[in-house]
Order: sequence, then structure tokens, then C-alpha cells
Amino acid sequence: MALLAAVTTLAAAPAVRPPAARQEPPPLDEIVIGGLTRPRFAVPECVPRRQDDASQAACRTLTQVLRADLRFEDLFQFVPDSLLNAIPPLNPQAPRFDDWKGIGAKILVATQAEVANAELQVEVRVYLVDTGQPMLQKRYSGRPENPRSFAHQASDDILTLTQYKGVARTRIVFVSDRDATKQRPSKELYIVDYDGFNPRRVTVNSSLNILPAWRPDGAALVYVSYRQGSPMLYLAKIFEGQSVANLSGEKGDSQAFSPSFSPDGKSLAFVSNRAGSTDVWIAGADGASPRRLTTTQAKDTAPCFSPTGDEIAFTSDRTGTPQLWLMDNQGLNVRRLTVASGNYNDGCAWNPAKQYSEIAYTARLEAGGFDIAVIDFATRQVRQITQGRGSCEYASWAPNGRHLVFSCERNKRWEITIADREGRFFQTLATGPGNNAQPDWGP
Amino acid sequence: MPFRKQSRLPVGFVVLAFLVLAAACSGKRPPALATATPGEGGSAADEARARASAQPLEEGPDVRAVEGEGASGSDIPGSGLYPGEGGPLADIRFDYDSAALSDEARATLERHALWLQGQRDVRVTIEGHCDERGTVEYNLALGEQRARATREYLASLGIAAERLRVVSYGKERPLEPGSDDAAHAKNRRAHFNVSR
Repeated sequence: MALLAAVTTLAAAPAVRPPAARQEPPPLDEIVIGGLTRPRFAVPECVPRRQDDASQAACRTLTQVLRADLRFEDLFQFVPDSLLNAIPPLNPQAPRFDDWKGIGAKILVATQAEVANAELQVEVRVYLVDTGQPMLQKRYSGRPENPRSFAHQASDDILTLTQYKGVARTRIVFVSDRDATKQRPSKELYIVDYDGFNPRRVTVNSSLNILPAWRPDGAALVYVSYRQGSPMLYLAKIFEGQSVANLSGEKGDSQAFSPSFSPDGKSLAFVSNRAGSTDVWIAGADGASPRRLTTTQAKDTAPCFSPTGDEIAFTSDRTGTPQLWLMDNQGLNVRRLTVASGNYNDGCAWNPAKQYSEIAYTARLEAGGFDIAVIDFATRQVRQITQGRGSCEYASWAPNGRHLVFSCERNKRWEITIADREGRFFQTLATGPGNNAQPDWGP
Repeated sequence: MPFRKQSRLPVGFVVLAFLVLAAACSGKRPPALATATPGEGGSAADEARARASAQPLEEGPDVRAVEGEGASGSDIPGSGLYPGEGGPLADIRFDYDSAALSDEARATLERHALWLQGQRDVRVTIEGHCDERGTVEYNLALGEQRARATREYLASLGIAAERLRVVSYGKERPLEPGSDDAAHAKNRRAHFNVSR
């Protein structure tokens, strides 16, 4: 992370109370998940270490973003603000744990920050309230322009206390027509933080740029661009501002779309019509050694890899309607996946977390619109994620498999929406103007 | 669609008769056919626009860096690529979720073939488009199938395949922004971008 010049674990815990006899840090998973199920967090306001405007403003942002980040995974409970305000303010160096115990907190997150010498310094300490024992102590320093990124980093560090990997530093790429004009109805790629903030435009060619997919290292995107007149795959190295054209080596008037990297980043699945019909192909990450995986005259499209990379799901209308099918990465052992969830299924997204054996996809479950659904491999049960939110499509999983992002059209506008994997909570990301669609959740 | 129904069969026959004839005299088509009426009236301006819009974009930056001090980009000046309805060759329409050519579409393509026979230096990019009632990815495949079916029929009418390029736009560039049946019908189409 370039922005955070230094992330250091504080060498010694300030002597809150005499450290218990020298012992290994407690097994953290057990504390949060085992010993304390859905532990109750107190996240009091960040305490500025200087009283200047910059330090106070940074602290306000840190508090707000850290609270939102910690709530996102729905793993914890939180002491309400009214109770936080009922006790004396936090002394971040020496918290009075009895106060925090008194309002039912099990875990206390104490944050301090200051802006000095054009640098933002943040310290985060996480205490087990019952014992006063520090569980985590981190100091972050870096450029002060984006305090949100400090909070995201701290949240992901706190999530390391659980068995789930946080996603607060992840980003989402999507397609927007916000910069289109009547003369140039372009679609460009944009990247936002997982919470919809900090939008950045990636492509600037005023053509159609669609179907973006992250390379697993997070440093590049593969996408489809029409900038040379027909759809071809491009690789955008986002930190260098460079692109590689025609990654799949289309010749003549063959075209390619629906690219997707394997989880190890070594293979690229895509769709090409170079053999006379739209088929799923696989190649090296640089497009070398392409092999045709499907050979029907039907429309075979939209491949996605399993978490191991051994299997590929895709869409085919070989039986008359678009349905999800499975095959191995050699194109063998082909079998149909969706049988009971409507007559139009497309856009697979395999949950990257191996403990969830499931695929999200776009299904036409009711006449007219589409919804996001998830099919469980073991039971073949389909659970509907969206309902009555307009037409939703193009699902992509968070890297830890606990949330989905997709786009929904409501009131004639496409917007990026996030849901947890059970479909209980929804959040529309305020990514900016225009139609915003085709999201892919990156590392 | 404003095509006159009564003209469909005769034009088809003319094309077929012509093709048989052309095959018989093995090669040169009479230049008189250059004046054959295109499928739908296209003014010189329409044609010029179609020609302009088929030009590739100028080379320029493609992506820009999102962080750090990497290269930054700027918009490429130049023509848009708006695949409207204009141009010398009228669009053909398709049924929902179908790439099958209707009788009406075939009749239109037969007129297009006749015109193309007379315009030997014309190349055509056939764009396959879909209405919004489908998913992004499946619609790209459907648009490809529509464009390819269109090309195959034109090729069967004697138009050299090298002159015909197919591009699928899926539902990414609808002609009509509306969501009613009329807009959907207009958007399920093959569009012809003509260049020389």
C-alpha cells in the first residue's frame, strides 16, 4: 500500500496494568469467535492528539469509517452511541476498563490521530475489556490526504482477530456512462473503494469499455474494449496507466469478450468466435497457447473459475435456453448445473471461499426482470438474493466470499449494489452519476 | 418497419435471377447495378456519416494510472462511433432472443446484396444488437449470432465474406433508450456500417 508509508506494531504495550506472566498472545480466533460469540465492541470517537483542524478532521473521518468498516461483516455487536456518551471520555493511554465494562463492552477500540509535518499518524489499540489485555496495537503513518484508507487498514487488521479476512481495503471496478456524450456514447471503467468512495477513472479512450475483471494480484484489469472497432480483450495495468491490446490474439474479424482470470492468475478464460461460433477458450494469462474448451454451435459464454481453478462454470443455450454448465479446465466432464431456476440463467460467479461451495448468477425467476440467485452445490438448492429491487445482474463475490456486488436497474438507472451472501442486507453504493454496472470485486 | 410488403417477392426474385445470371457469366457484374436502390433511402449525408463513423479511433492513451505518479491520459479527440439507424443500408430486425432471419429481414438483405453488388469497393461492418431484456454477457453472444447470421445470408447471396465484418454490441448501444415493446423491437437489430 503506497499510501501508508509505515505500518508498525507498537513495540511495547503501554503499561495499562502489569502484564500477566509472560505468555503467548491468546488464540485470537477463539476470543472473538469461540470465547465471545458476536462480541460487543465499543468504538469511541478517535482522540486527536493535537487540537488543530486537520487532526480533528482526520479523527472524525477515522471514527466514521472505522465504525462502518467493522459493522460491514456483521460479525460483531456494538455499544450504542448513547451509552458511549454516558461515561467519561476515553483516556486512550490508560482506559478505565471498569467504565467500559459498565456499558457492556467486551472489546474496546481506542484510536488516536494527529497530522504533523504533512503526515497523518494514527494509533489503534484493541483491548479485551474484561482483562484490560491489549489484543492488537498498531501505528499507521502516511500522507494525510485520505484518512479513510487508514481506517480501512485498521479494520482489516482488527479482522485478523477473527477467522475472516477483512475486505475494507478492497476495490470494485465497474462500467459507467457518466462521461458519455451524445456524440460519444462511451462507457469507461472506474474503480472505487469497497464502500463506494474514492472513485477513479481508469480508461480514457471514449470508446466502449465493458466486462472488467481483476487480475488476482490487483495490479491489472482485463476488459473488453471496442476502441479498435470490434470487441477485443485488453489488459490495463492500473498503476502504470498502460494497456496491452488484443490479449487473446484475435485475427481477422474474430472477437473476444467475457474475460476472467483463474484464481492463481496464471490462466485466462474468455469467449471468442474465432472458430465460427461463440465458445469458451482458455489461455495463459498473457493470452499465449489458447485452447478451445467448448465446441458446440450454440452460444457458449461467460466463463468463471472455481476457487481451485480446476473447474469452469459457463453459460450455454445448447439445450434451447441459456443455462449454467460446468466443465473441468480441459473442457471435459461437461454437465448442466441449473435445472430448476427458470429458463434464463447467466453470469456465473463462483464463491472464492472454499467453505462456501456455491455459485452466484443472474436468473430470470419472474417474468421480465432478472434477480441474483445463489446455487449450493451440495443441495442444489437455489436461494434468491434480490427481490423487488428492479432488474439485477452481474454478480461478483467479495474476496472472502461473505458479500456480493451486482448492478440493479431502478427508476431507469443502473446502480452498484452490495448484499451479504444470505441476501438480508443491501447497500447501494454512491459511486457517482450515470449508469453504473458490471461490477467486479477485486483484491 | 416501413417496407412495402408487395415489393418483397419481386425484389427477391430479381436478386436470385441476378445471382444465377452473375454466376453464369462468371465474374463481372454489369455496372448498371450500381444504381440499384438500397434497402432504405439513404442520403449522401447519411452515407458520409456512416463512413465517418466506421473509422477506427485515433491512437491515443487507453487507460490512465489510478494511483501514484504513473502516466496520465486524456480523452481521445475525434469521431464518435454511434451506430445509429442511418446509412445507406437499413437495419434488419429480429424476434426476441432469436438470431433467425425473418422473411422480411431476408427481403431487406436481398436488396442490400443488390446494392453491394454495385458498390464493389464498399465494405460493411455488420453490428448485432439486442434489446435490454437480457443479461450483458448472453446478449453479447446473441448479438454475435445475429451479426453472423446476417453475414452468412449476405455471403450466400454472393457478397464476398472479406467485405463483411461482424461486431456484436449486445445491449451496450441501444438505438432507442425506451423500455416499451416498440423500443425493444427497434433495438433487436443488425445495423450496417458502410465504409470504402
